[in-house]
Amino acid sequence: MAQRAPIAKSDDVAVRFKAVTKRFNKIVALHEVSLAVKRGEFMTLLGPSGCGKTTLLNLAAGFFSPDGGEILIDGERVNDVPTYKREIGMMFQNYALFPHMTVAGNVAYGLRVRHVPKNESDRRVGEALALVKLTGLEDRKPRQLSGGQQQRVALARALVINPTVLLLDEPFSALDKNLRTSMQVELREIQRKLGVTTIFVTHDQSEALSLSDRLAVMLEGRVRQLGTPEEIYRRPCDRFVASFVGDANVLRGRLDRIDGAHVVAIGALLGVATSAPVDLYVRPEHLKVTEASEPCARRGTIVAQVYQGGHVDLFVECMDSSRERLLVRSAGHEAMTRWPVGAQVGISIGTDEGVAFAVV
Amino acid sequence: MPRSAYQRLLGFCGKLAVLLILGFLVLPAAVVTIAAFNDKAILSFPPQAWSLRWFARAIAYQDFRDGFRNGLIVTVWSSTIALVVGAMFAFVLDRYRFRLKTAIEGILLSPLVIPHFTVGLGFLILAAQIGWTRTYAVVIVCHVVLVLPFVLRSVYVSLRNLDQSYELAAASLGAPPLRVLLTITLPLLLPGLVSGWLFAAILSFNEFTASLFVTAQRTQTLPVAMYNYVREFADPSMAALSVMYIVGTAGLIAFANAFLGLGKVLNIEQSR
Amino acid sequence: MNPQPYLRTFTAPAALCAFGFLAAMAAVLQFSLRAYVPGSLEPGGFTLANFMDLLKPLYARVFFDTVWICFLTAASTLIIGYPLAYALVRMQNAIAKSILLVIVVTPLFLGEVVRTYSWIIVLGNNGFINSVLLDLGIVHQPIQFMFTTFGVVVALVHVTMPVMVIMLAAGLSHIDRDYQKAAESLGAGPIRAFLTVTLPLSMPGVVAGVTTAFAWTFSAFATPQLIGGGRVNMISNLVYQLGFASFNFPFAASLCVAGFALTIVVLSLLRLAARPLENIRPH
Repeated sequence: MAQRAPIAKSDDVAVRFKAVTKRFNKIVALHEVSLAVKRGEFMTLLGPSGCGKTTLLNLAAGFFSPDGGEILIDGERVNDVPTYKREIGMMFQNYALFPHMTVAGNVAYGLRVRHVPKNESDRRVGEALALVKLTGLEDRKPRQLSGGQQQRVALARALVINPTVLLLDEPFSALDKNLRTSMQVELREIQRKLGVTTIFVTHDQSEALSLSDRLAVMLEGRVRQLGTPEEIYRRPCDRFVASFVGDANVLRGRLDRIDGAHVVAIGALLGVATSAPVDLYVRPEHLKVTEASEPCARRGTIVAQVYQGGHVDLFVECMDSSRERLLVRSAGHEAMTRWPVGAQVGISIGTDEGVAFAVV
Repeated sequence: MPRSAYQRLLGFCGKLAVLLILGFLVLPAAVVTIAAFNDKAILSFPPQAWSLRWFARAIAYQDFRDGFRNGLIVTVWSSTIALVVGAMFAFVLDRYRFRLKTAIEGILLSPLVIPHFTVGLGFLILAAQIGWTRTYAVVIVCHVVLVLPFVLRSVYVSLRNLDQSYELAAASLGAPPLRVLLTITLPLLLPGLVSGWLFAAILSFNEFTASLFVTAQRTQTLPVAMYNYVREFADPSMAALSVMYIVGTAGLIAFANAFLGLGKVLNIEQSR
Repeated sequence: MNPQPYLRTFTAPAALCAFGFLAAMAAVLQFSLRAYVPGSLEPGGFTLANFMDLLKPLYARVFFDTVWICFLTAASTLIIGYPLAYALVRMQNAIAKSILLVIVVTPLFLGEVVRTYSWIIVLGNNGFINSVLLDLGIVHQPIQFMFTTFGVVVALVHVTMPVMVIMLAAGLSHIDRDYQKAAESLGAGPIRAFLTVTLPLSMPGVVAGVTTAFAWTFSAFATPQLIGGGRVNMISNLVYQLGFASFNFPFAASLCVAGFALTIVVLSLLRLAARPLENIRPH
């Protein structure tokens, strides 16, 4: 299988959505969504169910047409181009391996449709199966394979035809945790090796953070934020993104001042009067538990400990007027003995990492 | 859980009831089988002597042979036509939307509630008006109409059970609609199509009431020939023929059950 | 892109069949409104006389008898078929289940004539039942079953049984066994649990079975014809006699039309009566 040389992410756009709108009966699934997926990048569409991510993927695949806007693949408008004429490779949630064909038959299907001669087809099928580490299973039927194996066959089938873009619709949601993690790693390796542009849909934010070059967080038919995983996690642009991606504690406070060092603020705070109330979103790993006597932002009682193996989650109920319930993540396991349930503690905000939003 | 004496008594009564009912169901077939081997011409019980001659006579009887041949011709034509028409329309029913769809579907399903004698009379009158009264054509058309609802339902259920993601996957791999149909949809539908065809064939071969109206002397199917025989003769030839019928049908059903699963067939209502 | 590429090709044949069928039904309707010309197959002018004749006691009687026979058959089939359906659904042994299923379903595919003929041999004066009874000395003269309504109903019940059992079994199979277990865990004995839980939940299947049995029995022809022997007549037999004995197609057609109207009316009434029952549905 021809390997594309890994291309540094240039401005070359493989798939572009321009103000795409889609309605189903009266419901607007996508509202003028614009998105550019660069060649060779791994783009994830992340959001809760109903946000439109799968619709956007299906529009890229060509299963239906947009009601407004344009979709361009490789610079060409494909709104009216049917699925089978677009050079896409797709992986379905339930794999959709043809039950009446063998593994080899499944993987070769796209090549047969393109009238690739048998010799070359066999060679490419062999290479694809080797890529997903399934050499030797050519003559098995799908029902004789495990879930993980079926998944690899589906991947091989989609990749062997050298698609312009690879579309994945929550492919790992049916797998158990360990298998999922190892499949994610493998997928990323293969994708990097081949340099194939990939659009990945998921509702699992940790999966999105670990796999993507960039991710688009969506809600109710709109893209709320587009950026690298780090940008999304550390600089969420609104409350939804802040709470949807990763855990967040919300601390009510007052805006003291805005200067370069002390208030980490996104544009939303400009124009907010000083001493107006704001909500500060802080990640659990950026809060620290101290003795109640030390200077701190909040005081509270430990109400629960959750041992997570590598770290401990502590739930703290604040005693003061804020009545907030905070989640503090403490690495290691000392917290289990040092901060038992019922202990009176202080909570301090560890670093400058926090995002504030105006209270409306 | 240990069962009390009461529960065991109930269970016993239940089993007894079921056995009695089964006996009721099986009684005619058993009686006919005994009668078929009777040596004497008069139906009487118990038979004094045993013989196979009625089987020989049944097989040799010209009207039965003609009836069998006509029945085969009509059945093969009507079930195949019904399969093609029904499968195509079931496809449309499952996938497409257009204005007249429900109307056509309603019309094609209505033979389920319209008595066969009405359908038979209707086609007889129609045939008389266009001069088709003694043809195979009118019988075949009549059978197609009667059998179509079952084929429609059978294929429609198979289509509904077919996961559409296979076809989407094939399209995503570059296969145009016709290719998807031939390489993916049809092969996966095959069990439903075969059982629908088999079902239609059996129903058509055994159909009597409407056939009585639309067949003529030279096109009469086997059930009609049997009916005419019973009205005139009282010997056990019919019993012998019935036994062959029962054995053949039970064999077909057992075969269908083993390979296709009767559950699929039973999704549909049955008719005579 | 065309989302419905095969619409025309796939619908045309079906539409053709629908049209043919409509033409046949229209022919019946048309003939029912035309006058009968004795000795000819061609009907006369338009008239309502056929329908007027239906009101005569002779024919009204046949309508009544038909409804009565259908009702008797449906009710008997329900009572006898329910235990069978229950056993079919609750049975554990897979092989026994298969055998049971084959026994129940096979008669369905045998055709009316074979089944009816078998009953003639059972019910006749020289038939099985009478021979056994005479031999055992229980009676001294054969009991007359043939040419009686009882004989016709018995045969019809046998013919309709597979359908009823299948529909009842379909309805029963959707009832989770946990419901009965819950009832028993709350203290209800098996019979009470059945009567108060399983039976009500099976009502949709019962309604479906009874309506189907009724509609189907209405269509019966060979059975009343051969076992009724002219003394027990249903609408179907009358249509045949008029059509083939006297070639009075117009009147036969009017019988068909009236019969069909009658079926619709009775089935609608059945549906209405069953509506409160249909609201009980298992999840």
